[in-house]
Amino acid sequence: MTVDLGVDLGRGLRLANPVGLASGTAGFGFELEQLIHLGTVGALYTKGTTRDPRAGNPPPRVAETPGGMLNSIGLQNPGVEHVAREYAPHFDRMGCAVIVNIAGADADDYVHCVRVLDHAAGIDGYELNISCPNIAHGLDLGRDPHAAARVTAAVRAVTERCVVVKLSPNVTDIGAVAAAVESAGADAVSAVNTFLGMKIDRRSRRPILPGAGVGGLSGPAIKPLALAAVAAVRRAVRIPVIGVGGITDTDDALDFFVAGADAIQVGTATFVDPSASIRIVAGLTDHLARTGLSHPPDLRWHHVEIAGC
Amino acid sequence: MTASLAGVVDERGEVVAVEALGGGMVEISARLPHIAATARPGQFAQIRCGSGFHPLLRRPFSVAWTEDDVAAFVLAPVGAGTRILASMRPGDSLNALGPLGAGFTVDGEPTAALCVAGGLGCAPFPLLIRVLRRQGRPVTVLNGAATAGLLYPPERFSRGDGGVTVVALTADGSRGMRGLVTEAVAGNLSAGMAVYGCGPNPMLAALAAAIDACGAAPGLAEVSLEAPMGCGFGTCLGCALPVHSAADGAAWALCCTDGPVMPMATVAWEQLMNLPAPHVA
Repeated sequence: MTVDLGVDLGRGLRLANPVGLASGTAGFGFELEQLIHLGTVGALYTKGTTRDPRAGNPPPRVAETPGGMLNSIGLQNPGVEHVAREYAPHFDRMGCAVIVNIAGADADDYVHCVRVLDHAAGIDGYELNISCPNIAHGLDLGRDPHAAARVTAAVRAVTERCVVVKLSPNVTDIGAVAAAVESAGADAVSAVNTFLGMKIDRRSRRPILPGAGVGGLSGPAIKPLALAAVAAVRRAVRIPVIGVGGITDTDDALDFFVAGADAIQVGTATFVDPSASIRIVAGLTDHLARTGLSHPPDLRWHHVEIAGC
Repeated sequence: MTASLAGVVDERGEVVAVEALGGGMVEISARLPHIAATARPGQFAQIRCGSGFHPLLRRPFSVAWTEDDVAAFVLAPVGAGTRILASMRPGDSLNALGPLGAGFTVDGEPTAALCVAGGLGCAPFPLLIRVLRRQGRPVTVLNGAATAGLLYPPERFSRGDGGVTVVALTADGSRGMRGLVTEAVAGNLSAGMAVYGCGPNPMLAALAAAIDACGAAPGLAEVSLEAPMGCGFGTCLGCALPVHSAADGAAWALCCTDGPVMPMATVAWEQLMNLPAPHVA
């Protein structure tokens, strides 16, 4: 049987393979394209982009924890106009799909960003970050199914491009949020963003990260949590689910397909090994060829199939 | 502005030596032919500490010196990562990504140079001094530490070269002059010299203040800074440092790609000193 790693995210967006670079760990591609061949991965999900430029949070912005890291970058980015005008013209040369991650405080912010970006070529879709733990409002949008649906519907109304909604794990019922954004017109969901976390400096008896002291936890430490979230989301929606959280190698990626993912993103692992995503693409191909399966989602555990699918 | 990462390679080579320098300072050298051949003074490598998930992130170390296909790094085993590196043995495999970052400027006027090193801030100077000496420039090193055991051995700066003068200072007076390394700046700086500083950020802030106060304007003044890093190659935006003017109008520069070496005048010292001290993990 031929191995086909291609995956449809909806609205005609087909990724050559399911392996993507997670938002916030690949910038806009300009650094990583110098270290790895981006044409080998399926998609690059850009750094979160906002209506206005953001300088980001004061340092320290990162703190290592067992098997993971906390970040509180504060969505440092040059603003949507700059991304559309200066960055997007270079996206085609990356050789993979480029999905621009967008963050905002309300539906207006997201709609504004999408309207600006829709004029730029080279952009294959949008990932709505309704779940950044490092700015106050993003959290609220991601926690409330109605608010999440409102943002999704507003964006859906103004673009024909693929719309992915990135879900927050810092909620009581992630399936309810996933179902709400699916009903509002999301083409796919990614699960999950970072988990709220804190690290204490015992000498100063204060959190290491500034402000409220919390940041987003990523890395291998969150993989079991992310897998459970992906399985819950899989049960709640029919649209493609992009699994993300602690994936460092092919085995991790396979686990996410078993839990119900149709595609995956590699995040923090890229910091440690810039080629991690490339090795996972090769590893998935090998694994499928060996096991006689044709698509990664064929690995799915039947318990996470939704009723009627 | 995107940093150029041309020439950055993820390479693996065997450890040649792990040397205890006394006082807990360790020098580790490994066969890393690409980094050895291409690292410029002040550049660093992101070194993997072990192969597991703790510690997860690579650790940044200045390239201390290179010799043929060997590159060396200086560290102190103070955290999970550095303890793993300090316990490595010759023949073990070391994984390093580099060379990374902006190094010291060495192509300016061939003036005399003053290298100001605080503790582990000695790290980038052997490589810098070799390049400066090839240009025939006289070099003075102000080598400061809390106590004698924490001083980098002076012969490792000079390697028997009479054109390199090393002045030792210790806070407790156990070797050389008693005092902080920055207190010796005024007596060793003359106008037009190139000043290169490396050490803890508070020491570098004191260096900037000492240069301002002494009235002799250096021809070049650069410092190698530190910040907690995620990736080391400009994507995570974790290693922000406050600067007076940065690319894209940002209030922050990245230690990994805008630095670690920056012009002294670029750094917003007051803001930097208001940040909490780095956490050692």
